[in-house]
Order: sequence, then C-alpha cells, then structure tokens
Amino acid sequence: MFHKFDLGGITRELWLTPTATGYRLNVLDAWSGPIALTDEGTGRGRLTVAGFSEAVAFVVDGDLIHIHMRGRTRSLRYLDPLRVLASVDSDGGHNVARAPMPGTVVALKVAPGDAVTTGTVLMVIESMKLETQIRASQDGIVERLHVKDGDSFDRDAILVTLLQGT
Amino acid sequence: MAAASLPFDTVLVANRGEIAVRIIASLRKLGVRAAIVHHEIDAAAPAVALADVAIKISGKTPVSAYLDGEQIIAAARAAGAGALHPGYGFLSENAGFARAVAAAGIAFIGPTPEVIELMGDKIRARNFVARGGFPVAPSAIEEDDPSTFLARARSIGAPLLVKPSAGGGGKGMRIVRDLDLLDDAVAQARSEGQRYFGDGRLYVERYVEKPRHIEVQVLGDAFGNVVHLFERECSVQRRFQKIIEETPSPALSAKMRQSICETAANIARAAGYRNAGTVEFIFGGEEFYFLEMNTRLQVEHPVTEMITGVDLVAEQIAIAANRALPFRQSDISARGHAIEARLYAESPERGFSPTSGKVLMLDYPREQGVRVDSGIAEGQSITTAFDPMLAKLIVHAQTRDAAVTKAIAAVQDLVLLGCETNADFLARVLGDPGFRNGAVHTGYLDENPEIASGPNDAPDDVTRFLAVAALVTRPVRDAAEAVPALHAAIGRWRN
Repeated sequence: MFHKFDLGGITRELWLTPTATGYRLNVLDAWSGPIALTDEGTGRGRLTVAGFSEAVAFVVDGDLIHIHMRGRTRSLRYLDPLRVLASVDSDGGHNVARAPMPGTVVALKVAPGDAVTTGTVLMVIESMKLETQIRASQDGIVERLHVKDGDSFDRDAILVTLLQGT
Repeated sequence: MAAASLPFDTVLVANRGEIAVRIIASLRKLGVRAAIVHHEIDAAAPAVALADVAIKISGKTPVSAYLDGEQIIAAARAAGAGALHPGYGFLSENAGFARAVAAAGIAFIGPTPEVIELMGDKIRARNFVARGGFPVAPSAIEEDDPSTFLARARSIGAPLLVKPSAGGGGKGMRIVRDLDLLDDAVAQARSEGQRYFGDGRLYVERYVEKPRHIEVQVLGDAFGNVVHLFERECSVQRRFQKIIEETPSPALSAKMRQSICETAANIARAAGYRNAGTVEFIFGGEEFYFLEMNTRLQVEHPVTEMITGVDLVAEQIAIAANRALPFRQSDISARGHAIEARLYAESPERGFSPTSGKVLMLDYPREQGVRVDSGIAEGQSITTAFDPMLAKLIVHAQTRDAAVTKAIAAVQDLVLLGCETNADFLARVLGDPGFRNGAVHTGYLDENPEIASGPNDAPDDVTRFLAVAALVTRPVRDAAEAVPALHAAIGRWRN
C-alpha cells in the first residue's frame, strides 16, 4: 500500500519494505534504496541513505513531521487515507474558503444567504500589517460564516462555506 | 558601574520578547533587579521567567495591554521600580507616556518627552533637521496646506514615497512611479495611517532609486555630551522591514563614513539629545538625506555592540541615572565586522505570509563570535498577536567575508521545529552574490524575487526528507512490518 506525504504542496507516494538489516524506501516513480535512522533520543539521529549518513533533528506532531537536515527545515504532512476520504465526502456540493495565512477578521462583507459570484469579496482579513481580501472562488450562496469580526484564526482554517450553484 | 552608585535598585521592563531578555541581561550585569509586565499570552516566555518580579497586565488584545501606560506605570510602582525601560515599539516613542512615567517619579530610560515629540514626529523632525542645514530629501507635507498637497507632491516629480506622518516600521508606505497613480496611493496610505496610528496625515518625498539605508547610533548624556558609535547598514528589507543589518557598511568610503556619522552626532547635539538614539539616512550615489530619527534602542543595536564593545543598554541606564558618558568620541573604536539576521515567523516562499505554531524543538548555534538574542523557548506558542520577529542571530568576525560565512553557518545550524520560519531564506540572502559583493539596496529583494521564493528541493534532498518522514510515521512502518519479508523482497507486484 502507498503512503502519501505532502512536501511543499506536492504529494509524494512511498512505501517501506523490510530488509534483513532495516528498510528499503520506495518513492513512486523516483527512487528506491536502503535507508536507516538511528534515534539518538530527543528527536536527534543520523539518517543513512544508500550508505551516506548525516545528522537530522525531527519532531512528530500529529500528522506533521518537522525535520531539520542539511541546514534546512521542512514540514511534511502525512496524508492519512481515511481522513482524506472523509474530507472529500463532507465537502460534496460545498465550497470552502480557507485562510491563506493566520490572521484576524477585519470586516465581513457578506451574510449567510447572500448570492455571490466568482471574485466577490467575502471578507477582509489582516495578517500582521497586511490586509487581504478573501474572494469567492466560484458562484454560490453563502451558507455559513465560520468567523466573526475580530476573530483570530490559523492558516487553513475554514472561513466561509458556500453552497454551490442554485 | 555598580548598582550601589545608581539612584534606583529596580527597573521595570515595559516590553516583551527578545528585547526584554536583552534588557534584563544588562540589568543583571549592573546588579539591578528586573521587574517585567506581561500579558497572559506571554506567561511562558523566557523574559518573564528571567525577571525578578513579573506583573500581569491585561487588555482587549495582547498588544493593547503593552500599550496601556496606566497599567504599566501602576506595575512599576507596585514593583518599587525607580526607572522604566520601554525597549522598542509599543510605548517607547510615546512622549505622553514618557511624561507620565516621569510624573510618577520614575526615570524614563530614553530621551526627554520634548525631544521625543520633536524627533519622533517625522514632519517636525524633518523641518528641524532642514532648518539646521542638514541634508533632507525634497518633500511635500500635507498639513502645511492640505488643499495644495497633491499639486505640491506632483511638482516634486516621480518617483515619490508616500508615508503616514505618524508612522514607523514601513506601515502604510507607498512608492509612486507613475503620477497618475498618486491619488490612489494617497488614499490607501491615509486609510492605513488612520488604522495603524489613528492619524491620517501624510507626507510625500522624493524616492531615491536603489537607495541604501544607513543609520548611525548616537548616545547623549544629560550634560550635553554626544557621541556616535558608527553606522549600521540595513538595506536588506522587505516591505520596508529590515531583515539583515551589518556594520560597517560596505557602501561607504572612510570619508563618507566620517561625514555621515558626524552629521548624525551633530543632529543629535542640535536636538539636545539624551540617551540612545539612531539617526537614519537614505544613501544613494554619493549623497545622503536625513530620513528620520528613532528615539529609542533599535532592534539591530547588537551589531554596534559587537564592533565597539559598548553595552548600549547599560549606557542607557547610566544616562537615565544622570551619569556622564564614560567615554569621548576619540575613545570609541570599531573592530571587525558584525552582521545580524532576523529570524521571523513567516514564509518568504509564500509571499512572506506570517506563520504560527508551537516551538517543539529549539537549539541555537553556540559558536564563538555568535550571539543569539532570543525571546522564545521550547513549548511556547507563536501567534500572530505580535510582530513576527522571534530572535536575532548576530555574528562577529575580522572581515566582512568571514562574517558572512559565519552568519550562513549560524542560520543553518539553528534548529527551530514546529513553527515555520524564514531561516532558509536568511541563508539564501546571505549567500546571494549581490549581498556577498555588498551591492544591495532597499529594493533588492523586490528586484530579485527568486531569493524569496527559493529553488525547488533537489531530488536527493526530497528523498532524504521523505526517508525520515517514512521512518518516523507509525502507520508507514506498521504497514511495512505487516508484509512478510519474502513477499516484500519480491515487491509490490504481489499485492
């Protein structure tokens, strides 16, 4: 079975196979070879890929894996197959506007029941010193506003649900 | 300088984050007790843990708590503080607050309210500096005559910079290269000025193309002694926010350095400046113009400390205690090169949008010649309630080239997991050939957007990140264990 990880917006598919000495990593259409990770405790270790080994620091936080290696930091998200299906199902017929960044609601521009067309400004948010307009990505009816004036939210939080078409 | 010789034994730190930690470090050195105010959201912050006394303050928003002068002065009284250090931002350049602190019988560690009023207001400061015969850029000030403001702005000619008069930190600023767009830029800048500073007054000045931001650190005491501690160059900016600062500036000849530093000291002298301050200039071609004066400690003050060996915060405290400066201009010398890189909770790769999260792992470089001024600790949540700056990495070396190399290593060695930061981007800027050659200006990052967006990860790097992720993700390992080794060896065709 494949496992999916999101790295910088790109979904990568991989699986591990056990070997006599550890694991073989198989990245779909990309790479296959032996890998090993020695855990030196408290999220530090040495990663060996095809015989080449180097220091790595990592933290697993739910479905997020934060890694520091080669002077760079990346966060990968494990895309749990069950959760991916659930989210597709519940969003059937709906279109959600998500927060592009963490911030605060400055002004709501629509109310539930309003008809909107692609590009209609749904709300104005502020993140640090930047004001950003959140616009409808398609035509629809405002079903629900998930935030009110002054509310703070994290990146990817659902701000508005639109009911598609009429 | 021993605490016994100071007229106060406790100082209230009216700030948060890395600067509060920094101020407490100097108080410790002087043997002075440190009291601090904090909003609940900062209860787990290192500065609160370091202080001898911590007093909670509240407000509608976390920021409003740190802007509530009455609560802060009450806290200073409760802590028995004889002096108050405002840090930077918040109330540090608020003359009314400085006056109220003094009226409460507490020494304000900063300039007098009159000088804050004069030099903290862009328009008044500019007029004052121009009257003194110092160089300023051609400009139009709205409140001179609002009805002719736009016409006067137009007559300066493009490019123009539109700024809120009450502003700071680049908020609300607009560059206008096409005069047809001036009206729109003025309306937007006015609305942002109103929102951020409660003041919609504007001014417009000539925008210097490829300008470099060069500023000079000054110190003045209560006896009229003023010295400069050389310049800092802060040209690497995004949206007028500084990212990397250094000293000495690679752009200045020895003669130009002397001219700009002496001009700054003379401006401070003319203003009767007391305490630490920074005179900012725009430098382009072979000319410099006065930009503004910051009547407080600057974020980037550590680079000056690294090359001069002067503890600026300790000097600020001594000046507030009515002591004379312990050195003259000729006593101050600079050694080597220092660079500061600001670690922000933001994603340069996604248009510098702010990030949030919890600090799950934090490990700073501990090399010699590397100083880290940090306001965060493991377990702390990073929110968008405040400015996104988390920490500063400051390096010192004999030459600029060695300092750049050291700064890159420091930024790459830094481990902060749990909240995305601009660390990768800092390494890209420091390693950029333009930066290496010292050929930057305040628009450099806008002109070279690939530095912010960054290259795609090399396939080999992707493999390595995926390898770690696969090995530490339980379901991935479990699935591998569920497959008998023999079948696995044959591969997925058997599935």
